[in-house]
Amino acid sequence: MTLKQSLTQNHDQLLKKWFQATIDTYPPQSARILGKDVDRFDNPVGAVTRETLEDVLHLLASDYTSDTLEKALDPVIRIRAVQAFSAAEAVSFIFFLKKIGETVMDSAHTREFDRMVDQVVLAGFNRLMKCREDIFLLKATESKRRIHAAFERAGLVKELKEEDLLGSKKS
Amino acid sequence: MADELTPDELLDKIDYGTDSGNWLDTTKSVQIRPGMYCYAAKPESVETLGLPNARSWNPTEEDWKLPDNWQQIIHDGIKERLEKFRTFKIFMDVCVRCGACADKCHFFLGTGDPKNMPVLRAELLRSVYRNDFTTAGKILQKIPGGQRLGGNRPLTLDVLKEMWYYFFQCTECRRCSVFCPYGIDTAEITIMGRELLNLLGLNIDWIATPVSNCYTTGNHLGIQPHAFKDMLEFFVEDIEDITGVDCTPQFQKKGADILFVTPSGDVFADPGTYTCQGYLILFQYLKEKYGLDVTWSTYASEGGNFGFFTSHETMKRLNAKMYYEAKRLGVKWILGGECGHMWRVINQYMDTMNGPADFLEVPVNPITGTKFENAKSTKMVHIAEFTADLIKHGKLELDKSRNANRIVTFHDSCNPARGMGILDEPRYVIQNVCDHFYEMPPNTIREQTFCCGSGAGLNAGENIELRMAGALPRATAVKYVHEKFGVNSLCTICAIDRAALPTMCEYWVPEVDVIGLHELVGNALILPGEKERTEDLRMEPLPGCEEEE
Repeated sequence: MTLKQSLTQNHDQLLKKWFQATIDTYPPQSARILGKDVDRFDNPVGAVTRETLEDVLHLLASDYTSDTLEKALDPVIRIRAVQAFSAAEAVSFIFFLKKIGETVMDSAHTREFDRMVDQVVLAGFNRLMKCREDIFLLKATESKRRIHAAFERAGLVKELKEEDLLGSKKS
Repeated sequence: MADELTPDELLDKIDYGTDSGNWLDTTKSVQIRPGMYCYAAKPESVETLGLPNARSWNPTEEDWKLPDNWQQIIHDGIKERLEKFRTFKIFMDVCVRCGACADKCHFFLGTGDPKNMPVLRAELLRSVYRNDFTTAGKILQKIPGGQRLGGNRPLTLDVLKEMWYYFFQCTECRRCSVFCPYGIDTAEITIMGRELLNLLGLNIDWIATPVSNCYTTGNHLGIQPHAFKDMLEFFVEDIEDITGVDCTPQFQKKGADILFVTPSGDVFADPGTYTCQGYLILFQYLKEKYGLDVTWSTYASEGGNFGFFTSHETMKRLNAKMYYEAKRLGVKWILGGECGHMWRVINQYMDTMNGPADFLEVPVNPITGTKFENAKSTKMVHIAEFTADLIKHGKLELDKSRNANRIVTFHDSCNPARGMGILDEPRYVIQNVCDHFYEMPPNTIREQTFCCGSGAGLNAGENIELRMAGALPRATAVKYVHEKFGVNSLCTICAIDRAALPTMCEYWVPEVDVIGLHELVGNALILPGEKERTEDLRMEPLPGCEEEE
């Protein structure tokens, strides 16, 4: 049996364990609630986490590239990027997959599977950086867009363009 | 009933394990994390209103520069409020910690921080109340382990810091209270918590400075009357370009029928500015067709009231100017714009704070004859209700096709929805000005609506992680209707929503745009004498008028 076949065969068990391990990165009182399988609008973190992990497992069992992995990881990383996690904690859940893989699948696949997980980690880290960049960009531009834009349209303030600034430097 | 559990099944579900953590322990929770808190109030803003302990301080520093007797001040503050507000006393006593509210808070659901469960946020204050004000608490604190047993703790500096951190991670949206079997209004606990913190000068700047500006200049941004007038005149020019009709408003007109008050965000912040243009178009239409006499005021130039997030005394001081202005101008009643917390202040507190406004008349729509019974005491009518009434009586000529490119869903703003029951009016208006309207799932709208995550003074830039996490439940529902029905427009009737939700959408659902209700009305309303419109209020081509590429 190939690794991909094994991933398909053990999909349910891998998902169950990976989901639980990921939810357990939250404080225990919260994990109890976020781990519940309820309506997705009553528990968006739990629902999105479950769906994302499932998508990633499906992807690993078929063909993937770093781009498709990154895209699949986006929903869960996007959430963890704004929660009280350090960068390491935010992507740590992907590493759990190595240990879970060892307990669930044949040991013959361990090395190959570990290498696969490494690729997922790198894709996850890429995505985390993108989400953090989104946040910084929003932080930097929000008030300008909100208030400055209206004032500017009304002609009450005038934004100096780069060339104006350079011009004033020369004079 | 068949789906009920048998006693044995029920017993099997009980977890007999003990909780490993102790929520009373503050060592972890008071690590004040950047991205989650708002900057401290500037001393000059605190001074303007004569509020106590104005000084520069930084929440991340050890020393918060508190007065020496700060514990006594808080103790006396709690005592005074327990005696003054019956609700506060009841809310401190009756919670049985059933946990029905625990997973109903958008901040808990988004951050995963257990102290954002409404019950635990309230326990921050209740634990101190139990310790200092209840007999059981006083007895239990003397026996070993008694404090933990009773869930009480003395007011230490760490407890105070924890209260500050979490009371400014609550938007007072009241979703939790919808689910409380005892009817505890957890938002009122946050309100009390913030009042107490303000006794020590522990406000945030995103509240204190708007309050100060509002007190001195009349609106949150501190925009002076001439600039307020300039902005509206600029909108008039834009509207004239688009429609060919002059919609110049009246300012401070004595003896007008109606005084119109709206949040200043509609005048100064995109995309609220387009909603503001919608009001101007509506008033021009009503003046031309029915002779309705509406005046704006550069004095009462703010419908919002951040005093509400500071203390009841501050809320009262800021709210009073609407009534004073209505009295000075001699209008019949007040019409209020699309705002959130303004309506909770008006509907729930204004009448007993600054009322009764006997000098005003019970609002009657002079065009339809409808008497707004719900506003007979406050004398202030919500514009969604006013416009819905006009449409219902066939008084507006509307061209829905101008909004044909908008596939709309409606976000119920917490305060109009839960604070006054404005649920159907905006939907009725939307359905009369748009062809495509889809609801988000039922557990995310109407009374159960999810907050934008930026209300109650938390729409700052520095706490953006908190805001984005808090907006996750709302965004999840928006994303669902976007993917299922192709929704591209999130309509809302609150100025904070209009400021906060575009950022939320950009992070979570970038394809969705935020729009005010009266922007849609302004697009659809056919003004007498208008030219053939080719652009909407954003000066983008109307459906069917797009240039061929």
